[in-house]
Amino acid sequence: MPAKPAPTAVVADDERLMRDQIIGRLKEAWPELVIAGEAANGREAVAMVQGLQPDIVFLDISMPEMDGIKAAQAVAGQVHVVFVTAYDQYAVRAFEQGAVDYLLKPVEPDRVALACQRLRERLTQRPDPMSDLLAQLSERLGGGGVKPREYLRWVQASVGNSLRMIPTSEILFFRAEDKYTRVQTETVEALIRKPIKELVDELDPNEFWQIHRATVVRVDAVAQVTRNLRGNQVVHVKGRDDKLEVSRSFNHLFKQM
Amino acid sequence: MSTSNTAREAFRDIGSAIAAVWWGFFDWLALVSWKSLVLIWVLVLILGGVLHRPLTALILIVVSAIIKIIAGGKRRADLTASEATRRAEMEQLERTAVEARMQALQTQVEPHFLFNTLASIDQLIQTDPPRASKMQQSLIRYLRSAMPQMRETQRPTLGQQIDLSCAFLEIMAIRMEERLTTVIEVPEGLKSALFPSMMLQTLVENAIKHGLDPKAAGGRLAIRAEVVDAQLAVHVIDNGVGFNPTGDGGVGLANIRERLKALYDGRAELIIAVPPEGGTSATIKVPYEIAPR
Repeated sequence: MPAKPAPTAVVADDERLMRDQIIGRLKEAWPELVIAGEAANGREAVAMVQGLQPDIVFLDISMPEMDGIKAAQAVAGQVHVVFVTAYDQYAVRAFEQGAVDYLLKPVEPDRVALACQRLRERLTQRPDPMSDLLAQLSERLGGGGVKPREYLRWVQASVGNSLRMIPTSEILFFRAEDKYTRVQTETVEALIRKPIKELVDELDPNEFWQIHRATVVRVDAVAQVTRNLRGNQVVHVKGRDDKLEVSRSFNHLFKQM
Repeated sequence: MSTSNTAREAFRDIGSAIAAVWWGFFDWLALVSWKSLVLIWVLVLILGGVLHRPLTALILIVVSAIIKIIAGGKRRADLTASEATRRAEMEQLERTAVEARMQALQTQVEPHFLFNTLASIDQLIQTDPPRASKMQQSLIRYLRSAMPQMRETQRPTLGQQIDLSCAFLEIMAIRMEERLTTVIEVPEGLKSALFPSMMLQTLVENAIKHGLDPKAAGGRLAIRAEVVDAQLAVHVIDNGVGFNPTGDGGVGLANIRERLKALYDGRAELIIAVPPEGGTSATIKVPYEIAPR
Protein backbone atom coordinates (compact mmCIF):
# COMPACT_ATOMS: atom_id res chain seq x y z
CA MET A 1 0.00 0.00 0.00
CA PRO A 2 1.59 3.33 -1.06
CA ALA A 3 2.05 5.92 1.69
CA LYS A 4 -0.53 8.69 1.65
CA PRO A 5 1.06 11.93 0.39
CA ALA A 6 1.83 14.45 3.14
CA PRO A 7 -0.85 17.15 3.57
CA THR A 8 0.08 20.58 2.22
CA ALA A 9 -0.82 24.16 3.21
CA VAL A 10 -0.47 27.75 2.00
CA VAL A 11 -0.13 30.56 4.57
CA ALA A 12 -1.32 34.05 3.56
CA ASP A 13 -0.67 37.19 5.65
CA ASP A 14 0.70 40.57 4.59
CA GLU A 15 3.12 40.67 7.54
CA ARG A 16 6.09 38.32 7.42
CA LEU A 17 6.35 38.13 11.21
CA MET A 18 2.79 36.81 11.33
CA ARG A 19 3.45 34.21 8.63
CA ASP A 20 6.56 33.08 10.54
CA GLN A 21 4.51 32.77 13.69
CA ILE A 22 1.76 30.63 12.15
CA ILE A 23 4.27 28.44 10.32
CA GLY A 24 6.31 28.00 13.52
CA ARG A 25 3.27 26.91 15.51
CA LEU A 26 2.07 24.60 12.73
CA LYS A 27 5.48 22.84 12.68
CA GLU A 28 5.15 22.13 16.40
CA ALA A 29 1.55 20.96 16.24
CA TRP A 30 1.63 19.05 12.95
CA PRO A 31 5.19 18.15 11.86
CA GLU A 32 4.02 16.22 8.76
CA LEU A 33 2.21 19.24 7.29
CA VAL A 34 4.19 20.66 4.36
CA ILE A 35 4.09 24.46 3.88
CA ALA A 36 3.83 24.66 0.10
CA GLY A 37 3.88 28.45 -0.14
CA GLU A 38 3.61 31.83 1.58
CA ALA A 39 1.46 34.65 0.15
CA ALA A 40 1.63 38.35 1.11
CA ASN A 41 -1.80 39.38 -0.20
CA GLY A 42 -5.15 37.92 -1.24
CA ARG A 43 -4.38 37.84 -4.94
CA GLU A 44 -1.14 35.90 -4.38
CA ALA A 45 -2.98 33.52 -2.08
CA VAL A 46 -5.62 32.71 -4.72
CA ALA A 47 -2.94 32.21 -7.40
CA MET A 48 -1.00 29.88 -5.09
CA VAL A 49 -4.05 27.83 -4.15
CA GLN A 50 -4.91 27.39 -7.82
CA GLY A 51 -1.30 26.67 -8.83
CA LEU A 52 -0.13 24.45 -5.96
CA GLN A 53 -3.52 22.92 -5.05
CA PRO A 54 -2.77 22.59 -1.33
CA ASP A 55 -5.13 20.82 1.07
CA ILE A 56 -5.39 23.79 3.43
CA VAL A 57 -5.05 27.58 3.20
CA PHE A 58 -4.59 29.89 6.21
CA LEU A 59 -6.03 33.29 5.25
CA ASP A 60 -5.49 36.52 7.14
CA ILE A 61 -8.72 38.51 6.84
CA SER A 62 -7.28 41.99 6.29
CA MET A 63 -4.79 41.94 3.44
CA PRO A 64 -3.98 44.38 0.61
CA GLU A 65 -5.24 43.94 -2.97
CA MET A 66 -7.85 41.35 -2.00
CA ASP A 67 -9.01 40.64 1.53
CA GLY A 68 -9.20 37.17 3.06
CA ILE A 69 -12.98 36.90 2.63
CA LYS A 70 -12.82 37.67 -1.10
CA ALA A 71 -9.87 35.30 -1.50
CA ALA A 72 -11.90 32.57 0.25
CA GLN A 73 -14.80 33.22 -2.13
CA ALA A 74 -12.43 32.76 -5.06
CA VAL A 75 -11.19 29.35 -3.87
CA ALA A 76 -14.34 28.09 -2.13
CA GLY A 77 -14.80 24.35 -2.45
CA GLN A 78 -11.23 23.79 -3.70
CA VAL A 79 -9.40 23.90 -0.38
CA HIS A 80 -10.01 23.76 3.37
CA VAL A 81 -9.92 27.30 4.77
CA VAL A 82 -8.78 28.55 8.18
CA PHE A 83 -9.28 32.29 8.79
CA VAL A 84 -6.70 34.21 10.81
CA THR A 85 -7.33 37.63 12.32
CA ALA A 86 -5.84 39.83 15.02
CA TYR A 87 -9.09 41.38 16.11
CA ASP A 88 -12.39 39.58 15.97
CA GLN A 89 -14.35 42.46 14.45
CA TYR A 90 -16.14 40.13 12.04
CA ALA A 91 -17.34 37.89 14.89
CA VAL A 92 -15.81 34.85 13.19
CA ARG A 93 -16.20 33.22 16.59
CA ALA A 94 -19.87 32.76 15.77
CA PHE A 95 -18.90 30.18 13.15
CA GLU A 96 -16.58 28.18 15.37
CA GLN A 97 -18.84 25.11 15.17
CA GLY A 98 -19.15 25.34 11.39
CA ALA A 99 -17.08 23.80 8.64
CA VAL A 100 -14.53 26.62 8.73
CA ASP A 101 -12.08 27.26 11.54
CA TYR A 102 -10.51 30.54 12.61
CA LEU A 103 -7.45 31.54 14.62
CA LEU A 104 -6.81 34.72 16.60
CA LYS A 105 -3.40 36.39 16.52
CA PRO A 106 -1.11 35.91 18.35
CA VAL A 107 -1.90 32.27 17.69
CA GLU A 108 -1.70 30.15 20.83
CA PRO A 109 -0.05 26.69 20.58
CA ASP A 110 -3.03 24.90 22.18
CA ARG A 111 -5.49 26.57 19.83
CA VAL A 112 -3.33 25.68 16.81
CA ALA A 113 -3.17 22.06 18.00
CA LEU A 114 -6.97 21.94 18.19
CA ALA A 115 -7.31 23.48 14.71
CA CYS A 116 -4.87 20.91 13.32
CA GLN A 117 -6.78 18.04 14.89
CA ARG A 118 -10.01 19.26 13.32
CA LEU A 119 -8.29 19.67 9.97
CA ARG A 120 -6.95 16.08 10.05
CA GLU A 121 -10.51 14.82 10.49
CA ARG A 122 -11.81 17.11 7.79
CA LEU A 123 -9.17 16.22 5.19
CA THR A 124 -11.01 12.98 4.46
CA GLN A 125 -14.00 15.01 3.27
CA ARG A 126 -14.34 17.38 0.35
CA PRO A 127 -13.67 21.05 1.18
CA ASP A 128 -16.81 22.87 2.25
CA PRO A 129 -18.09 25.46 -0.26
CA MET A 130 -18.73 27.80 2.76
CA SER A 131 -21.44 29.62 0.82
CA ASP A 132 -23.62 30.65 3.80
CA LEU A 133 -20.67 31.66 5.93
CA LEU A 134 -18.99 33.70 3.20
CA ALA A 135 -22.24 35.45 2.33
CA GLN A 136 -22.68 36.45 5.98
CA LEU A 137 -19.06 37.51 6.40
CA SER A 138 -19.06 39.61 3.25
CA GLU A 139 -22.29 41.23 4.37
CA ARG A 140 -20.62 42.14 7.66
CA LEU A 141 -17.76 43.63 5.69
CA GLY A 142 -20.27 45.73 3.80
CA GLY A 143 -19.55 44.07 0.47
CA GLY A 144 -22.55 41.78 0.17
CA GLY A 145 -25.91 42.13 -1.48
CA VAL A 146 -26.96 45.04 -3.64
CA LYS A 147 -24.75 48.00 -2.81
CA PRO A 148 -26.52 51.32 -2.27
CA ARG A 149 -25.55 53.83 -4.94
CA GLU A 150 -22.36 55.63 -4.11
CA TYR A 151 -22.48 59.37 -4.62
CA LEU A 152 -19.57 61.78 -4.81
CA ARG A 153 -18.39 62.82 -1.35
CA TRP A 154 -15.24 64.57 -2.60
CA VAL A 155 -14.68 66.60 -5.74
CA GLN A 156 -11.25 66.68 -7.33
CA ALA A 157 -10.77 70.25 -8.55
CA SER A 158 -7.93 72.57 -9.50
CA VAL A 159 -7.15 75.57 -7.33
CA GLY A 160 -4.39 77.54 -9.02
CA ASN A 161 -1.72 74.97 -9.88
CA SER A 162 -2.73 72.34 -7.36
CA LEU A 163 -5.27 69.57 -7.50
CA ARG A 164 -7.45 69.53 -4.41
CA MET A 165 -9.94 67.11 -2.93
CA ILE A 166 -12.86 69.22 -1.70
CA PRO A 167 -15.48 67.55 0.51
CA THR A 168 -18.98 68.06 -0.89
CA SER A 169 -20.07 69.25 2.56
CA GLU A 170 -17.92 72.38 2.07
CA ILE A 171 -19.25 73.22 -1.38
CA LEU A 172 -21.84 76.00 -1.65
CA PHE A 173 -22.64 75.64 -5.34
CA PHE A 174 -21.46 74.56 -8.78
CA ARG A 175 -21.88 76.87 -11.75
CA ALA A 176 -21.16 76.32 -15.44
CA GLU A 177 -18.65 78.84 -16.75
CA ASP A 178 -17.49 78.53 -20.37
CA LYS A 179 -15.64 75.22 -20.71
CA TYR A 180 -15.37 74.72 -16.96
CA THR A 181 -17.58 74.25 -13.96
CA ARG A 182 -16.83 76.52 -11.02
CA VAL A 183 -16.80 74.88 -7.58
CA GLN A 184 -17.42 77.47 -4.88
CA THR A 185 -16.77 76.98 -1.16
CA GLU A 186 -16.87 79.72 1.43
CA THR A 187 -13.16 80.44 0.97
CA VAL A 188 -12.05 78.73 -2.23
CA GLU A 189 -13.01 78.97 -5.87
CA ALA A 190 -11.98 75.90 -7.84
CA LEU A 191 -12.51 74.61 -11.36
CA ILE A 192 -13.41 71.23 -12.75
CA ARG A 193 -13.79 70.06 -16.33
CA LYS A 194 -16.92 68.02 -15.72
CA PRO A 195 -20.08 69.64 -17.13
CA ILE A 196 -23.05 70.30 -14.84
CA LYS A 197 -25.10 67.70 -16.70
CA GLU A 198 -22.72 64.87 -15.75
CA LEU A 199 -22.16 66.21 -12.25
CA VAL A 200 -25.86 66.11 -11.42
CA ASP A 201 -25.89 62.33 -11.95
CA GLU A 202 -22.97 61.78 -9.57
CA LEU A 203 -24.09 64.02 -6.72
CA ASP A 204 -26.42 62.90 -3.94
CA PRO A 205 -29.86 64.32 -4.91
CA ASN A 206 -30.62 64.78 -1.21
CA GLU A 207 -27.52 66.94 -0.79
CA PHE A 208 -27.54 68.98 -4.02
CA TRP A 209 -30.36 70.50 -6.08
CA GLN A 210 -30.15 71.71 -9.62
CA ILE A 211 -31.87 75.11 -9.76
CA HIS A 212 -30.86 76.20 -13.24
CA ARG A 213 -29.37 74.68 -16.40
CA ALA A 214 -26.05 76.10 -15.26
CA THR A 215 -26.35 75.93 -11.47
CA VAL A 216 -26.38 73.26 -8.77
CA VAL A 217 -26.63 74.35 -5.13
CA ARG A 218 -26.07 72.45 -1.88
CA VAL A 219 -29.42 72.47 -0.09
CA ASP A 220 -27.93 73.12 3.35
CA ALA A 221 -25.99 76.11 2.02
CA VAL A 222 -29.15 77.99 0.99
CA ALA A 223 -29.56 81.01 3.29
CA GLN A 224 -32.77 82.35 1.76
CA VAL A 225 -34.79 82.57 -1.42
CA THR A 226 -36.08 85.97 -2.57
CA ARG A 227 -37.61 87.33 -5.76
CA ASN A 228 -35.85 89.80 -8.02
CA LEU A 229 -37.53 92.75 -9.79
CA ARG A 230 -38.61 90.50 -12.63
CA GLY A 231 -40.31 88.10 -10.24
CA ASN A 232 -37.78 85.25 -10.58
CA GLN A 233 -36.67 83.32 -7.51
CA VAL A 234 -33.11 84.06 -6.41
CA VAL A 235 -31.12 81.81 -4.06
CA HIS A 236 -28.74 83.42 -1.56
CA VAL A 237 -26.02 81.16 -0.13
CA LYS A 238 -24.50 81.23 3.34
CA GLY A 239 -21.29 83.19 3.77
CA ARG A 240 -21.13 84.69 0.27
CA ASP A 241 -22.80 87.43 -1.78
CA ASP A 242 -23.44 85.35 -4.90
CA LYS A 243 -27.06 85.42 -6.05
CA LEU A 244 -28.16 82.38 -7.98
CA GLU A 245 -31.19 82.68 -10.23
CA VAL A 246 -33.69 79.82 -10.25
CA SER A 247 -35.01 79.09 -13.72
CA ARG A 248 -38.76 78.63 -14.08
CA SER A 249 -38.59 74.88 -14.62
CA PHE A 250 -37.03 74.48 -11.16
CA ASN A 251 -39.37 76.92 -9.38
CA HIS A 252 -41.30 74.09 -7.72
CA LEU A 253 -38.26 73.27 -5.53
CA PHE A 254 -38.82 76.36 -3.43
CA LYS A 255 -42.63 76.39 -3.38
CA GLN A 256 -43.87 77.35 0.07
CA MET A 257 -42.83 74.42 2.28
CA MET B 1 -45.83 91.44 -29.65
CA SER B 2 -42.37 92.22 -28.30
CA THR B 3 -43.57 95.75 -27.50
CA SER B 4 -46.45 94.43 -25.40
CA ASN B 5 -44.00 92.16 -23.64
CA THR B 6 -41.66 95.05 -22.94
CA ALA B 7 -44.58 97.10 -21.70
CA ARG B 8 -45.71 94.31 -19.39
CA GLU B 9 -42.20 93.98 -18.03
CA ALA B 10 -41.97 97.74 -17.53
CA PHE B 11 -45.24 97.67 -15.55
CA ARG B 12 -43.97 94.78 -13.46
CA ASP B 13 -40.75 96.72 -12.74
CA ILE B 14 -42.74 99.81 -11.74
CA GLY B 15 -44.92 97.61 -9.52
CA SER B 16 -41.88 96.12 -7.78
CA ALA B 17 -40.39 99.59 -7.34
CA ILE B 18 -43.57 100.83 -5.66
CA ALA B 19 -43.61 97.73 -3.45
CA ALA B 20 -40.00 98.38 -2.48
CA VAL B 21 -40.80 102.01 -1.55
CA TRP B 22 -43.85 100.89 0.44
CA TRP B 23 -41.85 98.32 2.44
CA GLY B 24 -39.12 100.92 3.00
CA PHE B 25 -41.76 103.25 4.45
CA PHE B 26 -43.17 100.42 6.56
CA ASP B 27 -39.72 99.65 7.99
CA TRP B 28 -39.05 103.32 8.66
CA LEU B 29 -42.33 103.65 10.54
CA ALA B 30 -41.50 100.59 12.61
CA LEU B 31 -38.09 101.98 13.57
CA VAL B 32 -38.90 105.68 14.12
CA SER B 33 -39.45 106.65 17.77
CA TRP B 34 -42.93 107.78 18.93
CA LYS B 35 -41.45 111.13 19.98
CA SER B 36 -40.25 112.04 16.47
CA LEU B 37 -43.44 110.62 15.00
CA VAL B 38 -45.55 112.99 17.13
CA LEU B 39 -43.27 115.86 16.06
CA ILE B 40 -43.86 114.95 12.43
CA TRP B 41 -47.64 114.78 13.04
CA VAL B 42 -47.57 118.34 14.41
CA LEU B 43 -45.69 119.49 11.29
CA VAL B 44 -48.19 117.65 9.06
CA LEU B 45 -51.10 119.34 10.93
CA ILE B 46 -49.51 122.76 10.47
CA LEU B 47 -48.86 122.01 6.79
CA GLY B 48 -52.49 120.80 6.44
CA GLY B 49 -53.70 124.07 7.97
CA VAL B 50 -51.51 126.16 5.70
CA LEU B 51 -52.70 124.24 2.62
CA HIS B 52 -56.32 124.22 3.85
CA ARG B 53 -56.42 120.39 3.82
CA PRO B 54 -56.96 119.59 7.53
CA LEU B 55 -58.93 116.38 6.76
CA THR B 56 -56.15 114.90 4.55
CA ALA B 57 -53.59 115.66 7.26
CA LEU B 58 -55.79 114.04 9.91
CA ILE B 59 -56.34 110.89 7.80
CA LEU B 60 -52.56 110.66 7.19
CA ILE B 61 -51.91 110.87 10.91
CA VAL B 62 -54.51 108.23 11.84
CA VAL B 63 -53.33 105.81 9.10
CA SER B 64 -49.65 106.20 10.06
CA ALA B 65 -50.53 105.68 13.74
CA ILE B 66 -52.30 102.41 12.90
CA ILE B 67 -49.41 101.25 10.69
CA LYS B 68 -46.94 102.21 13.39
CA ILE B 69 -48.75 100.03 15.92
CA ILE B 70 -48.90 97.03 13.55
CA ALA B 71 -45.36 97.47 12.24
CA GLY B 72 -43.95 97.97 15.73
CA GLY B 73 -45.43 94.62 16.78
CA LYS B 74 -44.02 92.86 13.74
CA ARG B 75 -40.64 94.45 14.33
CA ARG B 76 -40.55 93.32 17.94
CA ALA B 77 -41.47 89.79 16.84
CA ASP B 78 -38.68 89.89 14.25
CA LEU B 79 -36.17 91.07 16.83
CA THR B 80 -37.17 88.37 19.29
CA ALA B 81 -36.91 85.75 16.56
CA SER B 82 -33.46 86.86 15.44
CA GLU B 83 -32.28 87.03 19.05
CA ALA B 84 -33.49 83.47 19.60
CA THR B 85 -31.69 82.32 16.43
CA ARG B 86 -28.49 84.01 17.55
CA ARG B 87 -28.68 82.36 20.96
CA ALA B 88 -29.35 78.96 19.37
CA GLU B 89 -26.32 79.41 17.12
CA MET B 90 -24.12 80.32 20.08
CA GLU B 91 -25.31 77.27 22.00
CA GLN B 92 -24.69 75.05 18.98
CA LEU B 93 -21.16 76.44 18.69
CA GLU B 94 -20.43 75.86 22.37
CA ARG B 95 -21.77 72.32 22.12
CA THR B 96 -19.56 71.59 19.10
CA ALA B 97 -16.55 72.91 20.98
CA VAL B 98 -17.25 70.69 23.99
CA GLU B 99 -17.83 67.66 21.78
CA ALA B 100 -14.63 68.37 19.89
CA ARG B 101 -12.73 68.49 23.17
CA MET B 102 -14.23 65.17 24.20
CA GLN B 103 -13.32 63.59 20.88
CA ALA B 104 -9.77 64.84 21.22
CA LEU B 105 -9.54 63.22 24.63
CA GLN B 106 -11.03 59.94 23.55
CA THR B 107 -8.64 57.11 22.94
CA GLN B 108 -8.06 56.70 19.27
CA VAL B 109 -6.08 53.51 19.55
CA GLU B 110 -7.51 51.11 17.02
CA PRO B 111 -7.95 47.58 18.38
CA HIS B 112 -6.77 46.09 15.10
CA PHE B 113 -3.50 47.98 15.36
CA LEU B 114 -3.04 47.08 19.03
CA PHE B 115 -3.65 43.32 18.63
CA ASN B 116 -1.55 43.03 15.48
CA THR B 117 1.32 44.83 17.21
CA LEU B 118 1.08 42.62 20.28
CA ALA B 119 1.08 39.54 18.05
CA SER B 120 4.24 40.83 16.31
CA ILE B 121 5.94 41.44 19.65
CA ASP B 122 4.97 37.91 20.71
CA GLN B 123 6.68 36.50 17.62
CA LEU B 124 9.80 38.67 18.06
CA ILE B 125 10.18 37.61 21.70
CA GLN B 126 11.00 34.13 20.37
CA THR B 127 13.06 35.05 17.34
CA ASP B 128 14.67 38.41 18.12
CA PRO B 129 14.26 39.51 21.77
CA PRO B 130 16.16 42.85 21.50
CA ARG B 131 13.90 43.88 18.59
CA ALA B 132 10.84 42.76 20.56
CA SER B 133 11.90 44.99 23.42
CA LYS B 134 12.40 47.95 21.09
CA MET B 135 9.00 47.44 19.51
CA GLN B 136 7.35 47.16 22.91
CA GLN B 137 9.01 50.42 24.00
CA SER B 138 7.66 52.14 20.89
CA LEU B 139 4.20 50.79 21.70
CA ILE B 140 4.41 52.08 25.26
CA ARG B 141 5.51 55.51 24.03
CA TYR B 142 2.67 55.54 21.52
CA LEU B 143 0.03 54.46 24.06
CA ARG B 144 1.26 56.96 26.66
CA SER B 145 0.77 59.91 24.35
CA ALA B 146 -2.37 58.60 22.66
CA MET B 147 -4.19 57.94 25.93
CA PRO B 148 -6.53 60.65 27.06
CA GLN B 149 -5.00 62.99 29.59
CA MET B 150 -7.94 64.49 31.37
CA ARG B 151 -5.78 66.72 33.53
CA GLU B 152 -3.87 68.01 30.56
CA THR B 153 -3.28 71.66 31.34
CA GLN B 154 -0.66 72.53 28.76
CA ARG B 155 -1.52 72.89 25.12
CA PRO B 156 0.20 70.24 22.99
CA THR B 157 3.21 71.12 20.85
CA LEU B 158 4.11 69.94 17.37
CA GLY B 159 7.13 68.17 18.87
CA GLN B 160 4.90 66.00 21.08
CA GLN B 161 2.64 65.18 18.15
CA ILE B 162 5.65 64.25 15.98
CA ASP B 163 7.01 61.99 18.76
CA LEU B 164 3.68 60.21 18.98
CA SER B 165 3.51 59.62 15.23
CA CYS B 166 7.18 58.53 15.13
CA ALA B 167 6.48 55.87 17.75
CA PHE B 168 3.54 54.68 15.65
CA LEU B 169 5.61 54.67 12.46
CA GLU B 170 8.48 52.73 14.14
CA ILE B 171 5.96 50.00 14.96
CA MET B 172 4.49 50.01 11.45
CA ALA B 173 7.99 49.87 9.93
CA ILE B 174 8.77 46.66 11.83
CA ARG B 175 5.44 45.15 10.79
CA MET B 176 5.35 46.28 7.17
CA GLU B 177 9.12 45.90 6.61
CA GLU B 178 10.16 47.02 3.11
CA ARG B 179 6.57 48.02 2.33
CA LEU B 180 6.95 51.23 4.36
CA THR B 181 9.54 53.99 3.99
CA THR B 182 9.24 56.99 6.29
CA VAL B 183 10.64 60.48 5.77
CA ILE B 184 10.35 63.09 8.54
CA GLU B 185 11.42 66.63 7.75
CA VAL B 186 10.50 68.87 10.65
CA PRO B 187 12.91 71.69 11.55
CA GLU B 188 14.00 71.47 15.21
CA GLY B 189 12.88 75.07 15.73
CA LEU B 190 9.26 74.30 14.89
CA LYS B 191 8.88 71.57 17.50
CA SER B 192 7.99 74.07 20.21
CA ALA B 193 5.10 75.46 18.14
CA LEU B 194 1.57 74.78 19.36
CA PHE B 195 -0.32 72.12 17.45
CA PRO B 196 -3.65 70.45 18.34
CA SER B 197 -3.51 66.89 19.63
CA MET B 198 -4.09 63.72 17.58
CA MET B 199 -4.63 65.55 14.27
CA LEU B 200 -1.25 64.66 12.77
CA GLN B 201 -1.72 61.09 14.00
CA THR B 202 -5.12 60.84 12.26
CA LEU B 203 -3.52 61.93 8.98
CA VAL B 204 -0.64 59.45 9.43
CA GLU B 205 -3.01 56.57 10.20
CA ASN B 206 -5.17 57.49 7.19
CA ALA B 207 -2.12 57.54 4.93
CA ILE B 208 -1.20 54.02 6.03
CA LYS B 209 -4.70 52.57 6.15
CA HIS B 210 -6.22 54.09 3.00
CA GLY B 211 -3.07 54.93 1.01
CA LEU B 212 -0.21 52.48 1.56
CA ASP B 213 -1.68 49.36 3.16
CA PRO B 214 -4.06 48.59 0.25
CA LYS B 215 -1.07 48.73 -2.12
CA ALA B 216 0.77 45.38 -2.34
CA ALA B 217 4.14 47.06 -2.88
CA GLY B 218 3.56 49.63 -0.13
CA GLY B 219 5.28 53.00 -0.50
CA ARG B 220 6.61 56.16 1.12
CA LEU B 221 5.14 58.37 3.84
CA ALA B 222 6.53 61.84 4.49
CA ILE B 223 5.82 64.29 7.33
CA ARG B 224 6.93 67.86 6.65
CA ALA B 225 6.44 71.10 8.55
CA GLU B 226 7.05 74.71 7.55
CA VAL B 227 5.96 78.23 8.39
CA VAL B 228 4.35 80.19 5.55
CA ASP B 229 2.84 83.66 6.12
CA ALA B 230 2.66 83.24 9.91
CA GLN B 231 0.83 79.94 9.42
CA LEU B 232 2.31 76.63 10.56
CA ALA B 233 1.69 74.09 7.79
CA VAL B 234 2.10 70.39 8.56
CA HIS B 235 1.97 68.02 5.57
CA VAL B 236 1.47 64.27 5.47
CA ILE B 237 2.22 62.95 1.98
CA ASP B 238 1.98 59.37 0.74
CA ASN B 239 2.40 57.78 -2.68
CA GLY B 240 -0.28 55.16 -2.08
CA VAL B 241 -3.43 54.22 -3.98
CA GLY B 242 -4.92 57.73 -3.83
CA PHE B 243 -8.12 59.19 -2.53
CA ASN B 244 -11.49 57.55 -3.15
CA PRO B 245 -13.96 60.34 -4.07
CA THR B 246 -17.05 58.29 -3.18
CA GLY B 247 -15.66 57.19 0.19
CA ASP B 248 -16.53 59.29 3.20
CA GLY B 249 -12.81 59.86 3.77
CA GLY B 250 -13.20 58.54 7.29
CA VAL B 251 -14.77 60.20 10.26
CA GLY B 252 -11.26 61.34 11.08
CA LEU B 253 -11.06 64.11 8.49
CA ALA B 254 -14.51 65.49 9.31
CA ASN B 255 -13.47 65.53 13.00
CA ILE B 256 -10.31 67.48 12.22
CA ARG B 257 -12.35 70.06 10.25
CA GLU B 258 -14.87 70.45 13.09
CA ARG B 259 -12.15 70.78 15.71
CA LEU B 260 -10.18 73.33 13.67
CA LYS B 261 -13.35 75.39 13.33
CA ALA B 262 -14.04 75.21 17.06
CA LEU B 263 -10.43 75.93 18.06
CA TYR B 264 -9.43 78.60 15.54
CA ASP B 265 -12.67 80.00 14.13
CA GLY B 266 -11.71 80.17 10.46
CA ARG B 267 -8.00 80.83 10.97
CA ALA B 268 -7.04 77.20 10.35
CA GLU B 269 -7.73 74.73 7.59
CA LEU B 270 -7.35 71.16 6.39
CA ILE B 271 -6.44 70.76 2.73
CA ILE B 272 -6.46 67.45 0.87
CA ALA B 273 -4.60 67.54 -2.43
CA VAL B 274 -3.47 65.11 -5.08
CA PRO B 275 0.29 65.43 -5.75
CA PRO B 276 1.34 65.26 -9.44
CA GLU B 277 3.09 61.91 -8.80
CA GLY B 278 -0.10 60.38 -7.34
CA GLY B 279 -1.09 59.36 -3.84
CA THR B 280 -2.52 61.82 -1.32
CA SER B 281 -1.23 64.91 0.43
CA ALA B 282 -2.99 66.23 3.53
CA THR B 283 -2.08 69.59 5.05
CA ILE B 284 -3.19 71.22 8.30
CA LYS B 285 -2.57 74.95 8.61
CA VAL B 286 -2.89 76.68 11.98
CA PRO B 287 -1.69 80.09 13.22
CA TYR B 288 2.01 79.84 14.17
CA GLU B 289 2.32 80.19 17.94
CA ILE B 290 5.22 79.22 20.20
CA ALA B 291 4.32 77.34 23.39
CA PRO B 292 4.67 79.55 26.48
CA ARG B 293 7.44 78.36 28.82
